[in-house]
Amino acid sequence: MAKILGALCILLGCTYGGVKISLFYKKRTELFRFLQNGLAMLETEINYTFTPLPLAFEKVGRQSNRICQTLFLQAARVLRSNKSATAGEAWQEGIAALSAEVPLTREECEVLALFGQGLGKTAKEEQLKNIELTRRQLYTVQKNAEEEQAKKQKMWQYLGFCLGAFLVLLLI
Amino acid sequence: MTKILLKNNLQANHSSIAISSLSWFQALAPEIQELIAEAISPYLGELEEIRLRVNRPLLLRVGTREVFISSAGKITVEAENGVRISKENLQRTLQILSQNSLYAWEEELRNGYLTIPGGHRIGLVGRAVIEKGHLKTLTDISGINYRIGRQILGCADQVLPSLIKGEGRVYDTLIISPPQCGKTTLLRDLVRQLSNGIPALNFPGVNVGLVDERSEVAGMYRGEPQFQVGMRTDVLDACPKAAGMMMLIRSMSPQVLVTDELGKSEDVEAMYQALQAGVAVITTVHGNGVEELKERPNLQALLNWHFFDRIIILSRRKGVGTLEKILDGKSFARMSEHG
Repeated sequence: MAKILGALCILLGCTYGGVKISLFYKKRTELFRFLQNGLAMLETEINYTFTPLPLAFEKVGRQSNRICQTLFLQAARVLRSNKSATAGEAWQEGIAALSAEVPLTREECEVLALFGQGLGKTAKEEQLKNIELTRRQLYTVQKNAEEEQAKKQKMWQYLGFCLGAFLVLLLI
Repeated sequence: MTKILLKNNLQANHSSIAISSLSWFQALAPEIQELIAEAISPYLGELEEIRLRVNRPLLLRVGTREVFISSAGKITVEAENGVRISKENLQRTLQILSQNSLYAWEEELRNGYLTIPGGHRIGLVGRAVIEKGHLKTLTDISGINYRIGRQILGCADQVLPSLIKGEGRVYDTLIISPPQCGKTTLLRDLVRQLSNGIPALNFPGVNVGLVDERSEVAGMYRGEPQFQVGMRTDVLDACPKAAGMMMLIRSMSPQVLVTDELGKSEDVEAMYQALQAGVAVITTVHGNGVEELKERPNLQALLNWHFFDRIIILSRRKGVGTLEKILDGKSFARMSEHG
């Protein structure tokens, strides 16, 4: 009886681990999709209401999905607490906070960091162009993440279960 | 030598207000805050301007004196000892002023100034970007001027008895004054008192319409007046005077219409229409006196119409806001002499 229970625990534990890893892929795809939405909201704040960045980040952050909220709210927090911080520096801190929650590749971080470099320094049209360019890049990143998700999500789920089954067989 | 000069010319006014709590101070770059904080604290009551010009010394105007700040953070009158402003200082200042969002201040950059909380005006110069013959924006900012706005409650007390007709009516009034003689401060207090009412003169409050083209009288910041302009005052902020005057008359039916600094011929034309609409008008022009105004093509009509009942002339002869005289607007006869 104890053996069966132990085997069941190992099997469930490994399957859970596999599912957990596979969910990261889903989370990444969602993140890039919601980031594009977030940038669209930022575009509205800049284009129609000329909202300064500290407030604009806060507004977008509050309306955003929980996954990308971290990025906008952290950037807003930095701009409010340290008046001499540039928008680029604040955005970079937002990226750091985001990547602690969702794994990001170096290329993905670069796309986001590049957006931060021009933030707030130029006139409206240039800001809007920068947003549009980043949204297009994020769309490509999202497509790549979706392909990766399709390939690897199932794989990790099976892999978790298989690893559990293998361990059970080995121990029996 | 420096110390003697300063003692003679600057009167220390040890105020209990902490400099770090002042909104204009918070809008300076941290390195400039650090530099001037200690030196300027005793003179806060008299500080009028802080000028930052690229590669030139930081300059402060305190009362009628201009002073510099040494690298040790002390006041000096010798320019060569003054700390020079670098391009990075200016960029950092602009970044703080714009809250990292230059796009949000395009209209203000086009006009060459922006208003910060507290109603202080920040003037800017740089390289103009022209598109289709019109000024699009300013770039490469090379000079920033902080003009510390001040409200002096009660500064209109000595002119008010001459401006009130009785029964809640006010004389059409023209204020003539050279720049930096307290014209806007006087106008602001007039607006406040006429709007709130003046029990001592038995004057009930009236609806005042204020066309504040340069956001200087009410110091509007994001829709809120930063100065006390009275409970019955409607402010049309940043609106060209010519369009704003008739708009206010139609929309808010004020009993008194107030604008600052008439200059363009279309402003004078709009003023003519407003005067004919039966609304009492109080306005200001730059100048040294009636004679000078009569020589200026755009403004001579103001006097030739004989529409104004009262003309107030200000100067700086005995300090900012010296009231030179009040004239009868029809005969130009002196009603009172001050100063």
